[in-house]
Amino acid sequence: MSEWENGGLQDPAYMAQRIAACEKEIQKGIIGQREVIREVMLAMLTGGNVLLEGMPGLGKTRLVSTIGRVFDLSFKRIQFTPDLMPSDVTGTNIIIRNEQGSAFSFERGPIFANLVLADEINRATPKTQSALLEAMQEHTVTVGNDSHALEEPFFVLATQNPIENEGTYPLPEAQLDRFMFKILVRFPGREELKGIVALTEGSQEPVITEQLDRRGLMAARALVNQIPIADAVMDYLLDIVMDTHAGNPYIREGASPRAAQALIRASRAKAFLEGRFNVSFQDVKDMAFPVLRHRIILSFDAVSEGISEDDVIEKILEENKKV
Amino acid sequence: MERKEFVRAIEACRFRVNLAGFLGKLAAALCVGAAAGIFFQTVSFVVPFYYAGLYTILALVLAVLTASVAAYAGRTGMEQAALVMDSFGFDERIVTAYGNLEKEGAMVELQRADAMRQLQAHPDKIRITLLPPWKRIGSLAALFAALLVLSLLPSETKERAEEAHSVREEAKEKEEEIEELVEALEQLEQEELAPEQQALLQEMIESLQASQAEYQQAASSDMVRAATEKLNYRYEDMGSQLAGLAQSLQNGAAVSSVTAESLQALAEKMQGMGGTQLAQGTAGQSGDKGSNGKNGQNGNGGQNGQGANGQNGGSGQNGQNGQSGNSGGGDGDGGGDGDSGSNGGSGQSGDSGSGRGTGTGTSSTPHDYVSIPNDIADSGNLTGNAVDHDASEYFRGQNGLSWEGTHMSHEAVIGSYEQNAYEGIAAGKYPSGMEEIIKAYFSNFD
Repeated sequence: MSEWENGGLQDPAYMAQRIAACEKEIQKGIIGQREVIREVMLAMLTGGNVLLEGMPGLGKTRLVSTIGRVFDLSFKRIQFTPDLMPSDVTGTNIIIRNEQGSAFSFERGPIFANLVLADEINRATPKTQSALLEAMQEHTVTVGNDSHALEEPFFVLATQNPIENEGTYPLPEAQLDRFMFKILVRFPGREELKGIVALTEGSQEPVITEQLDRRGLMAARALVNQIPIADAVMDYLLDIVMDTHAGNPYIREGASPRAAQALIRASRAKAFLEGRFNVSFQDVKDMAFPVLRHRIILSFDAVSEGISEDDVIEKILEENKKV
Repeated sequence: MERKEFVRAIEACRFRVNLAGFLGKLAAALCVGAAAGIFFQTVSFVVPFYYAGLYTILALVLAVLTASVAAYAGRTGMEQAALVMDSFGFDERIVTAYGNLEKEGAMVELQRADAMRQLQAHPDKIRITLLPPWKRIGSLAALFAALLVLSLLPSETKERAEEAHSVREEAKEKEEEIEELVEALEQLEQEELAPEQQALLQEMIESLQASQAEYQQAASSDMVRAATEKLNYRYEDMGSQLAGLAQSLQNGAAVSSVTAESLQALAEKMQGMGGTQLAQGTAGQSGDKGSNGKNGQNGNGGQNGQGANGQNGGSGQNGQNGQSGNSGGGDGDGGGDGDSGSNGGSGQSGDSGSGRGTGTGTSSTPHDYVSIPNDIADSGNLTGNAVDHDASEYFRGQNGLSWEGTHMSHEAVIGSYEQNAYEGIAAGKYPSGMEEIIKAYFSNFD
């Protein structure tokens, strides 16, 4: 029987150690990309969905599968293509004939898993993309008149390729807002690449062991939600979100209230992951980029001047400097 | 670490933060105050500004007050103090713990314990500097040094400002003195007096008010001196008149004894003031000017000799004013000079007054009543100090100071004038270069 099953689930200090151990274990299977691993871990601790943006072959699928093994979570991968139908994602009612006669039976789609990798999500049509909306937000799937609850914990990790725009359907803002983080997966450095090659082309695959089960993950999530935030830190956080609206010439549309919620949760999770039980200014600052970068829509001025979302966020943070 | 200890640690930090804030603001405010002081001091080098020093002190005091008020208004609270502590590497642990000090719950208690443990383990991390930045202290020192140098550096403008100020103070003192006398005169029971006596009193009041106006307009020590000389004369004159008036009232017994006594008291007061000021004004500096006494033109001073302080007339100290016999009572003592000068005989004439010591306007003191006949006072040919003669009660009263203005042909007086002029030249009374001009002037009459 695991330690966490012996009462450790309620112990924040112990759970923080376990989460840190999980992170370490994931790093055994993924060379480099520590920031990406950290942010995916944070999303998992807060129950948020993640949009990974990066070139193909950077280990996104490997990352998700490794996480599944470390946390003992079921994992499904959906390759999004233009001809992918919503029912291919959610599942559909099929006719089953048996001794009692014929009847409709719901055949679960690949979305019924703890970890769903929606690969190249922007290649699917908006209709199929929107099939994910309910699942991502409500953690339920409705087919016909029946709603089917998804098993907790449920995470969607979607990927998209930033350079191939032909034949793609950019995600609508409403759907982007449902992703807690947008994480930029950058090309690894030379040393990291060497490690990746050695790891994947070697004869021995690293042994990844389970560090925390789904109950442990849910308990950690509950603990994260209890972490207190000082008023000053909360004010700082709200100022940042509000400043994405207040007459910023480079922003056409600012972040939604969901952004503030996500920023609070992400900051708490980061503090927890670092073994602290309070949120610091630095936590908020660090989390502002992955939380806000897909929630603000740049103005024409910004686009024409080549200013990115991260530049705008950097400027806002500079104006609200605390650390 | 207990909760109380935790709170005390934050309080201690708050005290230091507030003190540091006050010192910082004080240094900044003093910089501004010193800059203002430098400005005032610099101005005092350019224009007469007597109160530069006072304004400088006020600016510095205001700076201290402003800094105190600003420091009090912007004082740091407990939560802010906790944030300051957190800025030394505590990652907002302390402010979070302080904000949730009274709350219960596993996570909150864990967080609080963590904050206290961190604070206890690293108390030396918190270092709050009390002194303002060295740049600011340096600026302050430099400004104060400059201010000190400027305030101690003498200048002609500063001296002028001091002189103007003393003139103003003296004039103000006199104005107040006159004001008191005017009030005393106004408070007399005038209903008991005959109309001509009332008119006399009214005339005195107006005369005093005229002196008051002269003091108000006085802008230099010369003007104050001139006004004082006139006032002294007026005091003497009024004292005599009031004494006479009081005597006549007592004899006539037509008025209450109170009024008569008041008049007598006022008369004595004025005579006393006039005499005192004569004595003060003489200061014996002109003993060697006895020779001027021989000019005898101070005959009017002789009248003063009749005053209560007639004995002061002997002091002859105003002999220096002999040439400006117009200068009133004090000059009268020029007669006194006669005692010591060649004009011993003139000393007696001092007693008799009425000498021709009207002077010739050669005094540097401006007088609006110097030997100008009333009927030509408005002549456009007159130049010089005939300023504001319209305001002169003597002019308005169609009466000279001590003699009736009479119109005489120049042939009747030119001889004596010429004689006086040549005697003055011989005595070296006139500035060099003027002698030839004076001689040329009189030779033209020939």
